[in-house]
Parts: sequence; structure tokens; C-alpha cells
Amino acid sequence: MNRAAVLSSLLAIFIVATTPLFAKEVVIVTSFPKELFETYKKAFEAKNPGTKVIINSKQTNAGVTYIRETKTRPEADIFWVSAPDAFQTLKADGLLDKYSPPKEIMSRIPAKIGTFPIHDPDGSYFGFAVSGYGLMWNKNYMQAHKLPAPKEWVDLANSRYYGHTVISAPSRSGTTHLTVEVILQAYGWDKGWALLLNSGGNMGAITERSFGVPEAVNSGQYGIGVVIDFFGLSAIASGQPVDFAYPSLTSVVPASVGIVKGGPNPESAKAFVNYLLGEAGQMVLFSPEIARLPVIPELYAKGPKNYPNPFTMKLGGLDFNNRLSSGRRDVVNSLYDHIITFRHRELKEAWGTIYRAEEAIARGKGKDLAQARNLVAEARKLASQAPINDKKASDKDVVGAFKSKSGLKAELETEWEKLARANYAKAKELAEKAAGLAR
Amino acid sequence: MAALLALLVLFILYPVVRVLWVSLSDEEGKLTLLHFANFFRRPLFREALWNSLLSGVLVVLFGSLMAVPLAYFSVRYEFRGKILLQTLATLPLVIPPFVGAVALQLILGRSGMVNLLLMRWFDWSVPFMEGLTGVVLVQTLHFFPFIMLNTAVSLSNIDPSMEEMAQNMGCRGLRLFGRITLPLMLPGYIAGSLLTFIRVIDDLGTPLMLNYKNLLAPQAYLRITTIGIDDVDGYVICVILVILSLVSLAAARKYLGLAEYATVQRGAVAARPVHGRKRFLVLLFCGLVLGISLLPHMGIFLLSFSKVWSFSILPATYTLDNYTEILFRVPHFVRNTLLYTILAAGLDVILGAAIAFLLLRSRIWGRNLLDAIATLPLAIPGVVLAVGYLRVFHGWDFPGAGAPLTSTWFILVIAYTMRRLPYTVRASYAALQQVHVSLEESAQNLGANRLKTFYKVTLPLITGGLVAGGLIAFITSSVELSSTIMLVPRFELGPISYGIYVYMQSAALGRGAGAALGVVAILLVSLGTYLTHRVFGGRAGSAFRV
Amino acid sequence: MPAAEIRLEKISKRYGDLWAVREITLHIKRGEFYTFLGPSGCGKSTLLRTIAGFVSPDEGTVYLDGAPVNHIPPWERDVGMVFQNYALWPHLSVFENVAFGLRERKIPRDEIQRQVQQALEQVGLQGTERRRPSQLSGGQQQRVALARTLVIQPRALLLDEPLSNLDAKLRAEMRIELLKLQRDLGITTIYVTHDQEEALALSTRIAVMESGRVVQEGEPREIYEQPREKFVAEFVGKSNLFIGTVARAGDGIIEVKTEEGLTIRAAFSSPLLPGAAGKKVLLNIRPEAIDLLAPGEEAARLNRIAGKVAALAYQGSFVEYEIEAGGRPIKANVINPKGKRLFQRGEEVAAVFDPKDVALVS
Repeated sequence: MNRAAVLSSLLAIFIVATTPLFAKEVVIVTSFPKELFETYKKAFEAKNPGTKVIINSKQTNAGVTYIRETKTRPEADIFWVSAPDAFQTLKADGLLDKYSPPKEIMSRIPAKIGTFPIHDPDGSYFGFAVSGYGLMWNKNYMQAHKLPAPKEWVDLANSRYYGHTVISAPSRSGTTHLTVEVILQAYGWDKGWALLLNSGGNMGAITERSFGVPEAVNSGQYGIGVVIDFFGLSAIASGQPVDFAYPSLTSVVPASVGIVKGGPNPESAKAFVNYLLGEAGQMVLFSPEIARLPVIPELYAKGPKNYPNPFTMKLGGLDFNNRLSSGRRDVVNSLYDHIITFRHRELKEAWGTIYRAEEAIARGKGKDLAQARNLVAEARKLASQAPINDKKASDKDVVGAFKSKSGLKAELETEWEKLARANYAKAKELAEKAAGLAR
Repeated sequence: MAALLALLVLFILYPVVRVLWVSLSDEEGKLTLLHFANFFRRPLFREALWNSLLSGVLVVLFGSLMAVPLAYFSVRYEFRGKILLQTLATLPLVIPPFVGAVALQLILGRSGMVNLLLMRWFDWSVPFMEGLTGVVLVQTLHFFPFIMLNTAVSLSNIDPSMEEMAQNMGCRGLRLFGRITLPLMLPGYIAGSLLTFIRVIDDLGTPLMLNYKNLLAPQAYLRITTIGIDDVDGYVICVILVILSLVSLAAARKYLGLAEYATVQRGAVAARPVHGRKRFLVLLFCGLVLGISLLPHMGIFLLSFSKVWSFSILPATYTLDNYTEILFRVPHFVRNTLLYTILAAGLDVILGAAIAFLLLRSRIWGRNLLDAIATLPLAIPGVVLAVGYLRVFHGWDFPGAGAPLTSTWFILVIAYTMRRLPYTVRASYAALQQVHVSLEESAQNLGANRLKTFYKVTLPLITGGLVAGGLIAFITSSVELSSTIMLVPRFELGPISYGIYVYMQSAALGRGAGAALGVVAILLVSLGTYLTHRVFGGRAGSAFRV
Repeated sequence: MPAAEIRLEKISKRYGDLWAVREITLHIKRGEFYTFLGPSGCGKSTLLRTIAGFVSPDEGTVYLDGAPVNHIPPWERDVGMVFQNYALWPHLSVFENVAFGLRERKIPRDEIQRQVQQALEQVGLQGTERRRPSQLSGGQQQRVALARTLVIQPRALLLDEPLSNLDAKLRAEMRIELLKLQRDLGITTIYVTHDQEEALALSTRIAVMESGRVVQEGEPREIYEQPREKFVAEFVGKSNLFIGTVARAGDGIIEVKTEEGLTIRAAFSSPLLPGAAGKKVLLNIRPEAIDLLAPGEEAARLNRIAGKVAALAYQGSFVEYEIEAGGRPIKANVINPKGKRLFQRGEEVAAVFDPKDVALVS
């Protein structure tokens, strides 16, 4: 056991020798890209000499897990990511500190952008920038495949884009989830899911990482991606042959910052939040490699020309129901996964068959065209159907199933999956039959 | 023994059990098998299970077709560029995360180099990277070196007279290979195939990068890391993965245990020169296999010098900025990687040799337990181990450090050491299996005690296996991602894989800088491999022989 | 069983700067038991492996039954080989080991069954078919190896130190068995060994090899009794070598003055060439040709050297003495010592031997 002692003291020496000690620190867990946190780190350290910014860059999910697992003795002061869900989760677990920043800062920021609230009403986290969701496309790709640029969400369901689009799964990306919710609330549950299922069937791929989407579009693997604006804007800025546009019905999402409860440096943490929300911090967002939208409306006058301004943009005009959205979030995400993401192959096949049948009908002269049309319509219906209605999605038991360890969740998911499988198989069969009739 | 066991329990078993307990308990914290029953009831999971098994078997099959000839050529034939072959053949294991994916897409993807060319010439494209086919293709290219390295070690341990005798009896060529060589090299081949199988069913990166999710590992990962949902299914899948791996291990061991393969070494079969047509075919085969399996590396290399590479056969514009960024602006990624992986590989070699020795040469109670625990990391997703570490080591200060282990970089070294331990244990085990006990007994007879015998006799004889195992530990640690992301305490302490992750998130700095880091990782690993060959090549054949 | 005639013509093989085998020409007749005898590193195994086809000679030709076979690979030469370590395949049972060559020859199943049984019976191993080689004793393994080779009825049998891994008693037993087996089968056999006793006991002819060359070829008696080189005299059996100058050459007898100043008379059937006097010669006297007498005792033998007993070892069937005479040791084996007097260490003795027991080596 002597060896163990030697080993551990050796270890200790290693560790002490490599752990720098600073008088003042602020430890930040963030999922933001390097250029963003590095710029802020430099700017903040310049403004607050003697305080060292320590960055712990983690994927959003890993960050949440990290904060949760270290809650007995938090090591981080600041949680700083895009996804609103992450903050809601941490807040629900009581892992975020409440804070009210000075009036002179808060007064310059409106409570809402369009109908989206910017800050947490309870002061657990604060939006410091907003980003809109939109469509990004690769110009080379579109030219090679002779495709027009998409404009609206509904374009994603157009058969001409079949296999050319890419999105990240809403369960993996808080911002995609918000887009899904915007669609569901704008078009209504049934029509919304029809659009999601149809566009889902069109997707060439559904990625796990949200930055897998811009990656796929930048490299030209796929033509069109559903992305958050800064992915598109900064890609344009760095010279990629891509373009970006907000659809008329867009969602904007605040990127937020929150103070970790019981963090080691609460004072520095507050200073950092104040800096982010203040004018100096906000102006940083305009730099081309960051390309996010400040939350102080008057700053846009000082920003670059033609910079998108969410406060003047037409933002869908729908009254976004945040409570509804966060209440059924787990259900919607799981539903999307089980009927679209995990059944992507079958869904894609079904829609492909439907499109081929429709083409055959358009060209066809057979006398059974009417019957073929009916069959395709039936197939479309099957391939556009959500397994549950919106009432069930907000049902207390259903929502609760996703928070508990009972078997109900497994049952629900199995049911959805089975239904989806059966529907898509049937749709494919019908479409094939229709194509046969039209020939 | 006790100390070893304690170490493994503390750093492997306990953290993992802490995490996986979730899957066996109900809401009141009581033991239940409900979640497992649910697993088998769900078509999605049954499908994932089937797909995982299928991909494992297919990868081993196709991988063998590539690896076994390569191993045979590199051990039995003498030709120029052999060291190059042995060095390059380890590189497929080092596909850096994320950039490897992007790079391979740029080459083989639906708008990749190959398909763009095919479309231009023939108006036709091949969906290399779609669905399960793509997963199997990429995994085969990625993991076949496991089979090759292990087979090569076994192959070079075969007594030459075994084959000569068969030739003397009129047996030759493929038949000789099938009837004599293959059965005799089975210990290494099976060890390699097993590693491959386990790694494949546990592989997360490939399916995720290809956006194929109906496999066990990605299902587990997606469920564990989805924000806000404490999904018990994820942990159930982890337990199932662990069980699958352990069962296949046990089966292989039972099979190998039936046969007596220890031989008193009488020198390896001399590598013979090849000439003419045969030489051409050998080189052609090696070139083809390596060429295909190094496509991602070629992509990474090109990408690291590219500024814009989008829907074109080659990058549109080139730059050196990516290297300026990672070598001068943020050099610590490279430094940290070297420090962590060399330490971890070193620890792995020591622990691996000690464990293998206890397993094969002692009758101490609990050695099978030791074996089982040392094998576990193969089957444990990195995320689970990392979460376990946070859960277990976060609470208390490490003696003398004044901070919890989890806030120091040493947690990464420990994680790498434990995650790669099975490789050195397996490698040492296979090497030791082929050292006849009489060699040790004669040393003991001459007055050397156990420790001295191990040090003076056994160790030199198994050095090849140890080095091979250590090398694999080093190689695979240097691109380890899943536990890294969770455990890096701060930006400055991140290794290369973490750096790549950080760059890949950034559209502005982007893939180029990540690819440049990837190139550095590949260079580091090839340099390490090459040096190992040089150092050990002179004394004891190459690193993968002996 | 078919028996081949093997001819080697000017076979040479180099490994780097080292000549493993150098310009060896040999002719092995049908049914012979031919031995390559020599110390390790003399090239005997290389030569054997050349015949088997595992080594391709740099120069020279191997003929099997008159046909050159250099270009024929090992698997088509049809010469059975038994390796020193037996090379039994650990993953195959005894039956499968023996059946291996038959399967290669596409023999029908039941025929294989029969022949393997027969071969195992031949070597006395019936009943071990299903065992693994590792479950057999060394002697049994040896027999399996032999059976495995013989069952394919090769044109020649090549044995590479097959008995060296056995203990002494077993070795002696196997030697006799091997001898009987070979004589019964009449198969051309080439035997490689460093054990001169084995070579003398088994062979019809022996080639003594040193540093890649054959230094003497001949029947066992010839090799033992008339070694033509110092190396052969020393390597095969024990010897007392004397260097000297011919002092007088007479009628069938020469008188040699040795370096030590001793005078030795040697008998030769063929008259020495005229002018032999003054010629330097090397003489060999085998220890068993020397008898010891007390100083006063008279004997009819012409050679008598006085000396002192330096060491003795009682061996049962003979007593091994080392006599010091003229400043050098002389080995004398007094056979069948029963009833004879044992000389003690330090005792004065006279070593006597007959001129016809003196061999002229060169």
C-alpha cells in the first residue's frame, strides 16, 4: 500500500503544479463557438482587470449533465448556451440562481421580441442575443441540381426538394424544437404535423448535432438546411458559397445566460451577466464571425448596413404560446423522433413512392386515373398523420410519463412507432398501386 | 492483486454501477426488471439490437477479408515499404471525430469527390454512405486494423515447422492457410475480431455522422443526452451493450480455452521476398486496401488546407491559416494530447501486463472478477463512464490537490487509461498465452523469484504484445471524444479531440482548423507507430511481431 | 513402398557471408539409410531441407530418381519429413494429424480410415486417434509424427534429428524400432543427427559434415575405423591422435616418431609409397584398442607406451582410463574388466596396442 501513497502524492504534485490559481475568476460553461467565447473573454478581461475568464466549452446536453452532476459543489458560475430548453431544465431542477440586473441595463431591453419573451420572467436566465430560424442553401448545389431557392417552410414539403434537405432532430436541438412548435402553433396540430411529416419525408438526412446541418450545406452534401441564422450568416461571411433567408413565418430564439446556483464566484458572475446585457457586450454581437442579433433595439442603428433586425422583421404574426410549448416539449420531441427520425427510411420511401405515383398520374392516360388519384390522396393522408391529437399531447399523464420511470412512456412510444410503421407501409403500398394504375 | 482489484473497482465498476443502477430500479429505488422487459417489447429496440448484431458480424467479416491478407503479407513477405504498410495500417484507427466524418463525406458522400466524378463521367452515383450499408462500410474501414494487428502477432508466433510439415505432406497455398495457418493464428484473430465486434456494436461516432440512428449505441446516446429527459431506456441499452460484449468475450474465451496453443518458440517463420507477378499483386492489394481506408485522412489533409470546399471535387480556395491557428494561436491542444495519451498508454501497459499475468499464471481467487471488470470498459459508452466519474469523484477533494479529481486534467488520463485498458489486457493476454510456462519455470528453477522471473523472462517475451496494446491505447485515446467532452474541466486543458469539437462548432473558423488538428493527430500517431516499429523492429521483429 | 534414389550435385547455399552448404555432391541409393552426421551448424539440416524443398540451393541440382527437382515446390516432392520438434498440429487430433496427407491426396474416406488405423498400429498407437497431440508423451508424439509421414508412402523419408527430444532409454528403443521399420519398408531414408552412435547404429552409409562440406563419406565401419581426416576421427567415437614423422617404412609396417617423442608402429596392408620416410603423418588409435599392463608384464603387442594413470571411470562393460604419457593424455578403454585388475590413479602402467589397430588418418 506504500506504492499507493507514493502514487497519490505524485498525482497531487502533478495536479497542484498544473492548476493555476487566480485571485478572481469567472467559470463559464458554454456551447458557443470559439470565436464567440474568445472575443467575449478578451473583452471582459480587458474591462475587468484581475478577473480571469475560464471557459469550459461543452455541448449543450453535456453542459446540462455537467451542471447537474456537479451540483453538490458547483464548479461553474455561468451557464451560457443557445437552447432555451436547457435553461428551463436547469431552472426546474433549481440549479440556477435568480438575479435582477441593474435597472439601467434592463430598461433598454424589451420584454418580448414579437411574441417571444426574451428573459425568464422569474429572472433565472436572460436573453442576451436573439437568433432567427431560417433556411440556408448551397448555391453550387442548387445550380447543379437546377433547384430554385426555397422561401417558406411549406417549400420543404415540395416534391422537387425530395432528398435535398437536412434538419437536426428537435430532441437534439432546442432551436429546431422551437421551429417545430412555431409550425405546430401556426398551422394547428394536424396541419402542422402533416407539414412536418411531409417535409420529414423529404429530408435527405436528420442530423444529431445542430451544427451538422450547416456542415452538410457548406460542404454541399445537401442543398438546403433548416438552421439558426448565425450559422448561415457567418458561413456567408467566411466565404462559403451559401445563402440564407428567413421565411416569413419565422421564430426567433433568445440565446441566454444564467448564473449557476452556489457557484464559486457569484460577484464575477453578476459582472459578466451585466457586461453581456450592456451596450459594450451587445455591440460585440455585430462582428461578422459572430453575427447574432442584439436585444437592445436601438443598437441596430449603430450596426452594419442591411443587418437583419428582428424588431422590425415580420415575425410570423402568431401569438406564440410559450407555456404550451414548454409544457408538451418532451412529448413533441419524442413524437418527432419516433414517427420521423427513427422511421426516416420508411417515411422517406413512402413519400418517394407517392411522388412517383403523382408523376405517373400527371403523365398518365390510363382510364383508372381517378382511382389512382384517390389512392394517392389516401396515401398522402396516411403519411401525414400524427398518432395523437394535441389534447393528448398536453395530457397530464402523458406529459408526466416523460418525467417518471413508469412504463407508460415506453408504451406510448411503442404505440406511436407501430402506428407510424403501419401507416407508412400502407401509404407506400397504396402509392405503388396508384402508380400501377396510372401506367 | 487486491490493490489492482480495488483500483479497477474504484475507477470502473463503481462509477458505472452508480450510473447504470437507474436501469434496474423503479421510482422508489427498488430493484425491477420492468425496463428490460420493455426493451424487448419495443420493435424499435429489437430492430436496433438486430441491426447492431448484424453490423458487428458484417464488419468482422469484411474486415477479415481486408485484414487477414494484410497481416499475412506484412508478417510473411519481405518487400520494400513494409514498415510503411505497418505504419499506415494503424492510421484508419485514427479517424479524428467530426472532421473524419466531414472529410469522408467530402470524398465518398452523396456530393463527395467520388460521386461528383461519377456523375460527371457516367451521370451515375453510388450511395456509399447511406443507411446501414454506409455504417458497415465506414466501420470496416475504421476498425479492420484491430483484426490485422492482432492476427499479425499471432501469425508471427507460429512455429515454422508447422507449415513446412504441411507443405511436405503436399499441402500448399490457400489450402495450407486454411488447414494449418488459420487455425494456429486463431487466438490473435479471434481476439482482434472480438475487439472489432465489440467496438462496432459500441460505436457511436459512425452512425451519428451518417445520421443512422437505429442501432443500439446511438439509441442509448440519444436518450441519455437529450436535454431534460431522464430516459431510463438509454441506460437499459447500455446494460444490454455491456452484456452483449461480455457474452461474446466469454464465448470466445471458452472456445480458445479448448485448444492448447502454447508453443515453445523456435523462431518465427522467416519473411520471404516476393517477386514478379506475386509481388505486384501483393503491393496492389495493400495499396488498394490502404488507399481506400485512408480516404478520410486524405480528405482531412485537403480540408486542413482549404478555405472553401463546397460541392466541388477539390477545395475551391486554399489557405495556411488553419495551421497558424492551431500551432501558434492555440497550441495547448497538441501539448495536452501528448501528455494525456502517453501517460494513459503507459499506465495501460503496466496495468495490462499485471492483469494478464495474474489471469494466466495465478490461481488467486477473484482473478476472473478482475478480468471481467478490466473488460467492462470495452462495452461501456464513454458518456456513461464520464457521468459516473462526475458522480463519484466530484464530491471529495483529491488528497493534496485541494480540489476534486474532476476539476483536474488527471481525470482525463484516468478515463483514457480505463477506457483503453481492455486493449493492453487483451494484447498482453494473447502474447502471454503463447509463452510456454516452462520458460518461466526454468527461470524460477534457476533461482529467480516470481517478480524477477516476470521482469527477466516473461516481460521481454511479451514486449511485442505489450507495445502493440500500448500503441492501440495511445492511438485510440488520442481521438477519444465521448468521455473527453464531458470531463474536460476547462478550455485550456482540452486535448486535440476537444479542440476539434470546439472548432467544428464554429462556422467562421470552421472545419479547416479542426481538420488541421486532425492532421496533427494523425501525424502524431503515425510518428509514434513508426518509431515503435523502428525501436522494436531491430531487436524483436516489428512491434506487432514477437 | 516406392523408394527413390537421390542425387545431389554440387549443392551450395549461402546465408550472407556464411556458406551453409558448399559444393556437396552425394549419391543416395534406393533403400539406403543414409545419415548426415555433424555438429550443429555444419549444414546438415540445410542440406536435408534442400532435399525437402524448403531451401532452394544457390547452385547445384537435386535429383530424385534421376530427375532434377530444384524447381519443384515442397508440396509436390513427395518426400516425407519428420521434424525435430515433430511439428504435430495442436489444433488437430492424432487421427487428423495422420490423415492430413491422405486428405491432401484425395484418398476416399474409408480408405483414409483404414490407412490411418494401419499406420497407427504400425507405430503401436492404436486407440489414441481422438486425442490431441498435447495429451501424448514425447515418445508417442514422435511415433505420431512418424506415422503421419509414413502413411503417405513417400518416395523418401527425411528425418531431422527425430530422436533428440527423447530421453536416453526411449531413444535407444526408438532407434531399434526405426531401424526395423526402415529395413522392413525398404524406404530410402536420410537421417540428420549429431549423435555419432545413432549414425553408426542405423546407417548403411554416413556423410560426415563440417562447415558445409562433406569431409568423409562411407559405411559406418569405414568411417569409424578408417577416418581420413582429423575431424572425422575426433567427431566419430573417441580417439587418440598422434602427429609424427615416418622414421622407417618397411614391410607392411612403418615406424613413426611422434611429436612427443614416442615411437609407434603401424601396420598397413598396402605398402607405403617409396620415400615415405620423413613424411608427416597423423595416426589414430581408438581407446578400446589399447590394453593396460603393469610395468613388468610382457605382451605380444608391438606397441608399448609407459605412463601413469591420470583418471579412471568404471563403466561396467569397460573401464575408461586416462593415461599420461610423454606429457599428453592417452585414452584407453579396457573392455570386459571382469576379473581384471583395476589400476589406481597415479599407478605406473604400460599401454599396449597392436600395429594393425593404428589408423593412418593422413
